[in-house]
Amino acid sequence: MEPWDKLNALHLDALKEIGNIGAGNAATALASMLGSRIQMTVPRAGVLPLQEITALAGNEEDPVACVEFTVNGPAPSKIFFLLDEPSAYLLIDLLLGKPQGTTRVLDEMGSSVLTELGNILTGSFLNAFAEFCRLEFKPTVPAFAFDMLGAVLSSAFLEGGYFSDRALVIETRFYSESVTISGHFFLVPENAGLEKILQSLGLQLG
Amino acid sequence: MGKKVLVVDDAAFMRMMIKDILLKNGYEIAGEAENGKKAVAMYQELRPDVVTMDITMPEMDGIAAVKAIKQIDPNARIIMCSAMGQQLMVMEAIQAGARDFIVKPFQQDRVLQALEKVLA
Repeated sequence: MEPWDKLNALHLDALKEIGNIGAGNAATALASMLGSRIQMTVPRAGVLPLQEITALAGNEEDPVACVEFTVNGPAPSKIFFLLDEPSAYLLIDLLLGKPQGTTRVLDEMGSSVLTELGNILTGSFLNAFAEFCRLEFKPTVPAFAFDMLGAVLSSAFLEGGYFSDRALVIETRFYSESVTISGHFFLVPENAGLEKILQSLGLQLG
Repeated sequence: MGKKVLVVDDAAFMRMMIKDILLKNGYEIAGEAENGKKAVAMYQELRPDVVTMDITMPEMDGIAAVKAIKQIDPNARIIMCSAMGQQLMVMEAIQAGARDFIVKPFQQDRVLQALEKVLA
């Protein structure tokens, strides 16, 4: 039995709140960078099979930009920040001050823009998460991939040593009405850190 | 003559953004580095007036780089500029010898304010 099988409704609620606070701060950071209002959906938290995790973000064959962080510390986790292709190109244009529609293909500078955007948003996410849980999180240098959603997530999960075909994910979608941007944040805590996270919120596992 | 700044960040995009702010406000770019190891080597060679330093970087992170640069020059003026604003990290950076800490995303004024303070 995995530790995450012991998660009850209260635990999941607490994890959703972490997602809410973290993503809220990340959305604020993005809004600040773009000068646009950014909204987010109510986060979802649960133990899901990989196929369902993929389905949360879109279709397997959709090309996505993915910035992935491994987070070390007392609550080791992975964070994935995903953008669909149109959102990725639009963000590159907006952040580089180019007219919308300029970027049609991903080049080195574009990758750098997206990676750094992922870095900043993840930083905001983790800063809020750390303050809420009073834990320290140390992200590694991010990995960037631009590929089909299915390929990106399955290789990320395989590399992360998730030998189980399930994972605990906390997911939220952010979007804007003034600019057509849609992105996803996935927080995937490792089993080792799950108890620590819950304890920091005053909850016990099992 | 403008003060010379060494810009350190693993993201080309962020280096570009910071350089843009600096050049528009009368600063000169002494150089740029994409990791802590290069930052230390370049500091030794260029002796800039101030350094902007990211934290999360490959080869050598920003905190380690600050410590190494302070070994070379105890009076080195270093401003951290990072997405990581957790209290412990800020304290670690200041204890290592950084003189200010800017959390990304930042507005231009925050960067200029930090530079003025550190160069005063």
